Amino acid sequence: MRLLHWLPGRLLSAVVVLLGASILIFAAVRSLPGDFAQIVLGPLSNEEQREQLRQSFGFDRSLPEQYLLWLGNAARGDFGLSLASQQPVLDELASRLPVTALLAGMAMLVTIAIGIPLGVYAGTHASTGRGSVAARIVSTIGISFPEFVLGCLVVFLFSRFDLGLSVGAFTSPTADFGRGVVSLLLPALVLSVFCVAATARTTRDAVIGVLVEPHIAASVARGEPKGFIIRHHVLRNALIPVLTLTATITAYLLGGAVIVERVFNVPGIGSYLVLALDRRDYTVIQAGVLLATAVFVIASLLIDVLTGLVDPRVSVAKKGRGA
Amino acid sequence: MSAILDIQDVTVEYSTGGTIVRALDGASLAVRAGETVGLVGESGSGKSTLGSLVGRLLPGNARYPEGRVLVDGHDVLQLGVKELRGLRREQLGFIPQDPISALDPTMRIGRQLELALRGLPNDRAALLGHLERVRMREPERVLRLFPHEISGGMAQRIVIAMTMARSPRILIADEPTAALDSNVRSEVTKLVFGLARDAGTTVLWLSHDLRSVGRWCERVAVMYAGRVVEDGPAEQVLGSPTHPYTVALAAADPAGVQPGERIETSSVDVAALAASFRDEEEVVAR
Repeated sequence: MRLLHWLPGRLLSAVVVLLGASILIFAAVRSLPGDFAQIVLGPLSNEEQREQLRQSFGFDRSLPEQYLLWLGNAARGDFGLSLASQQPVLDELASRLPVTALLAGMAMLVTIAIGIPLGVYAGTHASTGRGSVAARIVSTIGISFPEFVLGCLVVFLFSRFDLGLSVGAFTSPTADFGRGVVSLLLPALVLSVFCVAATARTTRDAVIGVLVEPHIAASVARGEPKGFIIRHHVLRNALIPVLTLTATITAYLLGGAVIVERVFNVPGIGSYLVLALDRRDYTVIQAGVLLATAVFVIASLLIDVLTGLVDPRVSVAKKGRGA
Repeated sequence: MSAILDIQDVTVEYSTGGTIVRALDGASLAVRAGETVGLVGESGSGKSTLGSLVGRLLPGNARYPEGRVLVDGHDVLQLGVKELRGLRREQLGFIPQDPISALDPTMRIGRQLELALRGLPNDRAALLGHLERVRMREPERVLRLFPHEISGGMAQRIVIAMTMARSPRILIADEPTAALDSNVRSEVTKLVFGLARDAGTTVLWLSHDLRSVGRWCERVAVMYAGRVVEDGPAEQVLGSPTHPYTVALAAADPAGVQPGERIETSSVDVAALAASFRDEEEVVAR
């Protein structure tokens, strides 16, 4: 009910963000050094051939004209042909999307399943010194360890020693879901280390913050058991900052996927985009980055809605600010 | 008549970053079942510490080097976690100063009430019954609201409903009207004392407001510097106080002053007076 007051405003701002991002993406891609025609046709091509290629892709028109043409087509779901492979970009992205979605989904699942319980435990046992110090050290290491270092370490260990999981043998989840999950286990774990640590720490701080609130003291004074208070009054209140963090984690997973997919040789969106960058494949880069932006914008919107449902004060505040 | 609440010579200290602050310094107070006792004193006199002590609800850095607190014969400071929880649940009731922050901000009133009444009938009819008992207007609508959508007076009625639902034997109310608008103060006060009388609940009423204490409490105990310095029937303590601090407190009560009249006291004088009184006490003891 309250949601209806601010949701239209949020949707509108999401569209504006996407539109702004599309301009930025388009401008950034076009200002990349290196000429597309030169890369595709090689150094031995003559100027006439290159001009012909540029014309066939519409690169001879003005930039605003190119942008509007692209935006119009993109709005209808047509992202054009990959300049390198001559295949529709949408098909190529669609064939790789399930892999990245599964990878990010698995990492998110691990993050929630481990990070939140860990944080709740650390938060409710914060007064007993040693446990809290241990939790701090573990989370600091987890947060500061770069995933390409960790990834390389895991690849080395699992390829050097027989540890039960093989590295580099990828099975597509659309062909065999179970084996696809197994083959993505290591990359997903590497991807989730930072997120688990960040979630655990945020959850811990949130729980500690809620525990000193007067309404918790009131529950204690009513003689409620500790477990009951945590279940009914602490978790829900502590969830709010954790939900906000989830939006950041979504963005991190999208970015981290690029590196982890590369390290583990996973044919997802991330490694596809890196390849496209190498080839100056404008249409693919534009569509891929726009897709990532859209995922992030939608995730943020979803999390805002969820936060509004968990904390009734939030939607009121948003409405007050005029969204 | 034996005391339902017997605080015997209790000392409470808080350790904060190396320094130790003494909040109670040999405080004693015995209350018989069914009595209504007003506990008065300025901020920092130890009223709130004494009130929370009854349920052992002091922060984790509190220490109890001396004394005993007996609730119905049980030594509160020695009880195990489970027994203590049972005591809080079945025998004690607390009403805090700020009622809105005492409610879970993410939960509808109806759900909170339902949780607080766990173990008692807590269906919809029962919830409405409890709200009607505290004279809540539009109880059906209130059940669906969140704490940020209600007034302080409504929130305090809800907290009172939660607390009185179990008919506690001892009710500790820590300035329950201080955060409320003046026009609902007397209503809420009347409500608490009415419900307590009906349930036979002993009331420990912590307050700054001497006038309402004089009106509602049979007995008044005055706290100063961590001790109960004067204790007796309300009309005697407030009408003809013997301890210099009580004299100063009664004189400083703004409710007893005519509009435009200057209030005749300062806390420095009060401290000096009380210190001299303490010296006299020691002389007498020798």
